[in-house]
Amino acid sequence: MIDVQHLTKSYGPRLAVDDVSFSIGKGEVVGFLGPNGAGKTTTMRILTGFLPATGGDVKVAGFDVFDEPMQVKRRVGYLPESPPLYPELTVGTYLEFAAELRGFYGKERLKRVGRVMEQVGLVGWEGRVLGSLSKGYRQRVGLAQALVHEPEVLILDEPTSGLDPTQVMGMRELMRELAATRTVILSTHILGEVEAICPRAMLIAGGKLRASGTIAELREQAPGGVWYYLEVAGAQDREVGALAGVQMVEPLGIDGDFAKLRVRAPADPRELLFRAAAAKGWRVRALEQRLPSLEEAFIGIVGREG
Amino acid sequence: MKFVFTMWKKELRSYFVSPIAYVFLAAYLLIAGLFFYLGVTLTGEASLRVLAGNLAITQIFVLPMLTMRHFAEERRQGTLEMLLTAPIPLWAIVVGKWAASVTLCAIMFAGTLVFPAVLAYYGDPDWGVMLTSYLGLFAVACAFCAAGLFSSSLLDDQMAAGLIGAVILVPFWLVGRAEALVPDEWADRVRPLSLLYHLDSFNRGVLDSMDIYYFVAFTAVFLFLTFRSLESRRWR
Repeated sequence: MIDVQHLTKSYGPRLAVDDVSFSIGKGEVVGFLGPNGAGKTTTMRILTGFLPATGGDVKVAGFDVFDEPMQVKRRVGYLPESPPLYPELTVGTYLEFAAELRGFYGKERLKRVGRVMEQVGLVGWEGRVLGSLSKGYRQRVGLAQALVHEPEVLILDEPTSGLDPTQVMGMRELMRELAATRTVILSTHILGEVEAICPRAMLIAGGKLRASGTIAELREQAPGGVWYYLEVAGAQDREVGALAGVQMVEPLGIDGDFAKLRVRAPADPRELLFRAAAAKGWRVRALEQRLPSLEEAFIGIVGREG
Repeated sequence: MKFVFTMWKKELRSYFVSPIAYVFLAAYLLIAGLFFYLGVTLTGEASLRVLAGNLAITQIFVLPMLTMRHFAEERRQGTLEMLLTAPIPLWAIVVGKWAASVTLCAIMFAGTLVFPAVLAYYGDPDWGVMLTSYLGLFAVACAFCAAGLFSSSLLDDQMAAGLIGAVILVPFWLVGRAEALVPDEWADRVRPLSLLYHLDSFNRGVLDSMDIYYFVAFTAVFLFLTFRSLESRRWR
């Protein structure tokens, strides 16, 4: 659905996006992760046709963004970082304007505005002036504007920034519903958001694509990697370390009789540990696999300075 | 074309749901009333000659304030992103906004129609001249709104856009008085650039195609510059 090859964008001498290539299939939901100023917004603006690229090819739904911008714009819904609202208009007149910009008039326009207001939970808010809305509702109106033409591709730039926790939950719920039927790109610097919504993520930093894959794949790329947590009584950490198949054991602390251990092994050693404990009369209270958090993966890949 | 109408409708609505339109109408009518009073009492003529001439100059300073918000505000609010990612041509946005400002000017002129009514009651005005005077004012409004829109497309700050708009227009006024600054034969060459030079015939009741061309060209050039400036800013 979206195909980006060697995309480059420079603002004067500053390179904002540096040779980024990726492709996103129909119906996929992808999170753009990255620190502020990483090039996420610039990339999205190029995908929507708002900014021209300096180099590279960008195709959305088979149409080149540069050669056939109108075809692309018709198929894309875009919610910029701050919702593009006219503070003096009411919710109703604003959404009618948005529908007209998409070429819907008369009855069709009213039908679409009604449907989209229902979709984002704005029923009964037609008459409210946009300037008086709370951040959460502003965001909903912004989303409604991006959905009014039922786009195949939805591009959301930090859709939950500045919302309170309840609003964040509501927004995520909404995004999950929308994601069921569309291709969605979502940018954020909140890792939990990507874990909650996107099966796949792309890590962008310093204008470069640093990593791409499913959440699990990204986690495995963290420098710490996978490890196993063991709480055991009646065994020294040296004894556990001596078992065949165990690479390294680190003591993490002691709780009464029980020693808390970090076990590293080339292959999953849980069954092996359990058998060994049973044979030697060790008492095991906990044994589980630990993946590094997305935060750890993020910092590991991007680097602390990112 | 329907997108021009969409933009026009939205801009007019924005004018009238905020105080802007009302403040402008009130201020404009106040100034116009003053010129009308002075014109009639000083010349003792039943004509709008003084009023129309002075209003044209007043518009140099008033109209850029009417248009200054257009693109400067869109950019500040982030709504320009919405317009430029919608499948509508850029020229439709420019023309729609220009048409909305010109419409507001037409409404301001409609408010001054009380003056001809007063003149008709007390005197015997020349209706033909009156009509061409209004046509002249309207032509000036079309031209100035285009120039104001251009300055709004250049700058992110509304106030700056308003001031620069006036600064762009002032030379077209002063060039008509160029004989005070440069030798006469130079003044004769540059005088055709002057707004007042072309407005003068409207106020004498003469419709000269050269004057109409002048205002049409003035408007077209500034609308085109607005279009180009918006387009070029995307590349930076």
